[in-house]
Amino acid sequence: MKYGKLTVVGIIISIIFVIIGCIWLSLSVETLDEIAENFGAKENSIWNPPIPDYELPGFEGNVLINTIIGIIFTILTFIAAYGIGNLLKSKRVK
Amino acid sequence: MHIPDGFLDPWVCLMMYVITIIFWIFSFRRTKKILEDKHIPLMATLTAMFFAAQMMNFPIIGGTTAHLLGGPIIGITLGPYAGLISMTVILLIQALFFGDGGLTTFGANVWNMGIIGVFIPYIICLAIVRIGKNTKSLLIGAFLGALIGDVLAAIFAGIELGVSILSFPYSIQIAVTAMATHHFFIGIGEGIITMIILSILIKNRPDLLELPKATPYWLGEFPKFLTSKSGEK
Repeated sequence: MKYGKLTVVGIIISIIFVIIGCIWLSLSVETLDEIAENFGAKENSIWNPPIPDYELPGFEGNVLINTIIGIIFTILTFIAAYGIGNLLKSKRVK
Repeated sequence: MHIPDGFLDPWVCLMMYVITIIFWIFSFRRTKKILEDKHIPLMATLTAMFFAAQMMNFPIIGGTTAHLLGGPIIGITLGPYAGLISMTVILLIQALFFGDGGLTTFGANVWNMGIIGVFIPYIICLAIVRIGKNTKSLLIGAFLGALIGDVLAAIFAGIELGVSILSFPYSIQIAVTAMATHHFFIGIGEGIITMIILSILIKNRPDLLELPKATPYWLGEFPKFLTSKSGEK
């Protein structure tokens, strides 16, 4: 279970990151966006994401909902990476 | 550093996709030969951890914020090819579900954060570890690699924007200077975080740092000195 413990610790740290990110470090003013705004460049999205800017439509500014979304997607990211890892490993030439 | 749709000219988007696809092909081929059961929980955990870490926006200069990339620690631990796969998963989820980074610019974003932001830290760390062959050199290499990797990734983003004269109305000089200056500060933070995580792994699980790494053949092996001193834990 030595990898199980590592995974649990990693997921707990990830959840702490999400909570910190949603409560204290949520304000995002990226350099790129700031410069773009100053020079009048406009984003021209070809895809409407379901959760734009990490906020569920209708629940903007709701820290609890944002945190839950962050945790769900952190776990989904874990599952996606685990799945791809397994896929690559299973096709490995021995 | 996530470039949205509409900021890059079509030829820049296409060129960056072509380069990135070549790296993906090499990456999947090489990773298939290296990846074992014991890599997978570590790969999945680090990928999830840095997806979450990218949600933390740290105030830097001029009222702007920046977030960690995560590429350096993933690359140094798993090798740059596996690191590229991890970063691709993060960037794809961010683009598809959150609109953080565009789809037309996805190739460019993977090049900046998943290739430059992973390979450069790994190569710098590898070079310094080969000279020192001790824990100190690993930590110094990780710090410098993370710092230089972040700044170079920002410089590449600035170049891509600067050459997109149809979409983004300012020069390469302005774009590169602004991006590199701001990302120098987050690079220092990335370097410190990378050193802290490596220190924890060296103390508790040095074996994880000496797993076979998915790297290009021409880079050779990463020197092993951690488990040979302390015994594999």
